[in-house]
Amino acid sequence: MQNTLSQIKTISKWEIRRFTGTMSRDLLPIAFALFILLILASGFAQQNGIHLQDNIYTVGIDDESAFPVISTDNRFTVYKVNPGVTPESTGLDLVILNGFLFASDSDKGQAALNSFEKDYSGYIESIYNREEDLYAAYPLWIDEEYVKSEIDFTATQSGQRAVAPPDPYTKPVPDSEPALVETPSAQIDKPVEELRSELISDEGTNANIERYANVLSSSKTGSDFKTPSQISPPLPFDSIILVFIFIFPLYFTSQFYMMSIMNERIERSGEPLLSTPVKPYAIILGKGLPYFVMMLAVAAVLTVFIGAPLMVLLPILPVILFFLSSALLIGMTARSFRELSFISIFFSTVASSYLFFPSIFANIHIVSLISPLTLVIYQIQGDGFTAYDYLYSTSLFFLTSAVMFFLAARNFNEERLFNYHRFIPRLTEFIGSVISEKRTNLSLFAISICCVPFVFMVQMMLLVLLFNFPMPYSVVMLLVSAAFVEELAKSVGIYTLFSKRPGYMTWKNILAGSFFVAAGFLTGEKLLLFATLSEISDSVFGTVMFASLQVLWLPFLLHLAGVLTTSSVLKFGGRRMYIPALILATIVHSLYNLYFILGWSG
Amino acid sequence: MNLKNVEIIAKKELKSLADEKTIILAIVLQLFIAMFSSFLLIGLASMYNPDSISSYSNVKYPVAYTGEPSEVLTYLRDSSDFVVYEMDLSTAVEALKERKLSAVLWMPDTAPDYEYPVKITLYTIGNDIQSSLVNVKLKQILLKYEDKLREIRSDRLNGEIVDIKIPASDPSGDFYEFVYGLLIPLLLFMPAIISGALIIDMITEEYQESTLETLLSTPIGFSEVVWGKTAACFILVPVQAAAWLTLLMVNGIAVAGFIPILLHISVASLVIILAGAIIALKYHERTNAQFVFSAAIVAVILIFLAFPMNTANIIVRLSVGSIGSEHWLILGIILAIAAALAYIVTGYSEKMRAKFI
Repeated sequence: MQNTLSQIKTISKWEIRRFTGTMSRDLLPIAFALFILLILASGFAQQNGIHLQDNIYTVGIDDESAFPVISTDNRFTVYKVNPGVTPESTGLDLVILNGFLFASDSDKGQAALNSFEKDYSGYIESIYNREEDLYAAYPLWIDEEYVKSEIDFTATQSGQRAVAPPDPYTKPVPDSEPALVETPSAQIDKPVEELRSELISDEGTNANIERYANVLSSSKTGSDFKTPSQISPPLPFDSIILVFIFIFPLYFTSQFYMMSIMNERIERSGEPLLSTPVKPYAIILGKGLPYFVMMLAVAAVLTVFIGAPLMVLLPILPVILFFLSSALLIGMTARSFRELSFISIFFSTVASSYLFFPSIFANIHIVSLISPLTLVIYQIQGDGFTAYDYLYSTSLFFLTSAVMFFLAARNFNEERLFNYHRFIPRLTEFIGSVISEKRTNLSLFAISICCVPFVFMVQMMLLVLLFNFPMPYSVVMLLVSAAFVEELAKSVGIYTLFSKRPGYMTWKNILAGSFFVAAGFLTGEKLLLFATLSEISDSVFGTVMFASLQVLWLPFLLHLAGVLTTSSVLKFGGRRMYIPALILATIVHSLYNLYFILGWSG
Repeated sequence: MNLKNVEIIAKKELKSLADEKTIILAIVLQLFIAMFSSFLLIGLASMYNPDSISSYSNVKYPVAYTGEPSEVLTYLRDSSDFVVYEMDLSTAVEALKERKLSAVLWMPDTAPDYEYPVKITLYTIGNDIQSSLVNVKLKQILLKYEDKLREIRSDRLNGEIVDIKIPASDPSGDFYEFVYGLLIPLLLFMPAIISGALIIDMITEEYQESTLETLLSTPIGFSEVVWGKTAACFILVPVQAAAWLTLLMVNGIAVAGFIPILLHISVASLVIILAGAIIALKYHERTNAQFVFSAAIVAVILIFLAFPMNTANIIVRLSVGSIGSEHWLILGIILAIAAALAYIVTGYSEKMRAKFI
């Protein structure tokens, strides 16, 4: 143990030296210059504004009086028109004649009208904000108080109303004894000029963009009091910026790890290391450690920079591990730089969207909790999170990273590192390495269990992607895609065996193998589901995804039927029939689920 | 330079791209992004503008009115969106916590024409999507009351407002700007940037895998090698962009200026690819080159976007059909930049060859 630790330490030091060796020489000055350029560029962009939607709309005016309304909006190109024209006759999107606005009858005209409407209300506000008697311009102020109430996932998810339809004749009576709510004050305890300056500072800025900035500075800006037009639903966009801030550097640093592994293969510099008695996992850990520390440090600096509590590092930790373990696997499997680029761009897009989408719904929907970054947002807001929340949103990340590290460590040898097979055969080689010759069935069982966290992860992703579609479609889409993902995962072991040891696939062995795959999958599902996902599994979507978990022997038969379908088709048709086999198994699986869901609900 | 040789290299690179099936990943990736956007369209936009969903939800929300009577109570009663109960504050808030109500309003005893404003306290459930809907519906009522109060106090106002009568609008306008003003440039620039990263991989690979000597021992010149790789990366961009635009049009999103858009994105991507090639020639090593490229591209795109009439803006305007022929001038300027970079690439690669041999 002591020995391994010192080995890891040595390799880490070596890795740092290698990294600084390749990076610093000619790169440091240019990196510095780029950094300055980035700062200058963002300053320049901030000052000049982003000119992306400039001049997309055209508007004609018959006299200059309407000009102040749109003069600050770059989206409009203004033309002078003669009185008496129509939008159609001029081909313009909008025409203002004698104080009346006409929009052309097209999508673009409607969009221009919308933008004009916002500009116009902004213009009126800018005049009201300068009224001597502010309370005559804004005679009504709203003080919004939020009441905490546990959200009922089942109710809102299934499209039912969370509240029973109201009866207009009977007042609702609370079940528990009401706590005394103090009568709110009727006055605004803020000087009128302070309110005015807040209103003026909000002027012209897009309220939505302003919110991003506020998240960054983490200051609770804006008044507690709002005019009615300032009331806006809690927009999901606030969290976007946070997610980017935390994810982008992680992605960047994990690239360095990926490249370190890849360079080792291409330049064969890692070869001597492999011939030493150092264990593969010590090499992996040693090489990964500097990047791990770097990522953690970057996250910590960012946290301090935005003034958030250091607790936010806790949910970032599994994300870092996940990025590192995937970087390792990608670095070990890619055949060329081109492939490396594509796979890593693909991976990072998918992974960031998994982290990103749910957390958009932080504060809005419980589904957001499947992303650890939601916990970051909660922590920054000052709401904090519980140990249960932590387990719930991070366990999949910990588990999948562990599986990936294990797989990488098992394959970190010359045979795997220095061959350049195609991606899919390589993956099967990797998986093949964990199938034991003697205890094949036990290996299949274990692989199935290890697949479950990945399956859940993909299904979570599907849930987030699909839950916005209208209700019956989303359920059907989820049902079919979730079935496909499960069948794919269950086939992994069998397919690998099929390509590695075709002779093994006798009917007797297929039966036994399928039995163990199904048993492993069920065990994994059960373990993980009851540990963490009970909340989602209670909802309608949960019923769809995990319909197979209600009674034990039924889901077992389902899993067995699915994997048997795949392996039988494979046996008959050979490897070319893999995709059709999966589709067939998916159909079987979906029919089962449909039967049970329809059977229970109708 | 021998064009035949350039073609040989380009074909070889395209073939190995096809072999690795990486191009499939690129397509899947773009589909994935498109899926984001449909998600964004349906999900976020409806939250961004809840009016669009509220129009088809005909639920009556139970709200409690507490405090002094006022016209707000009348407005709420007249509204088809709400069922109003007059209650006392504590009971109402408790019922709200138990989700038996959707909101509670408290009205103070302030006269409408009083010197100070009327301050309504609004209790809603935090962390709730339904609250957003209720908020939007209540906002209409409150705005109406604000107008009423403003009218009562109008003799205290003295600002001059240009009066423009605006017809009722259709809230779907937000989608329009999202699709044309954001999604289309994003979808079109994505292949350009991927191709920029790709040329770096193709060039640094030759250095790092030490295949350059072999390649240079053939009659093919180094600048021809670089140009072949550039051509392979470049050809992907208009193909992908055209595929996207076609897909959008099949989905009912009319895109004007198809050919000019392709020209603009192609020329812009050529600039990006050539810049990538120069960086790769300079650094020989993928990690460094990619690092410099990605940092530089972020900075350059930021600067670029800060100028009016940048390529992204032109693409947006071309796609909505709001542009005259002035964009050809910009195309010419970008083309000149590309030509300058092309000159540098050719010279630089020949110099590298001299150093190498």
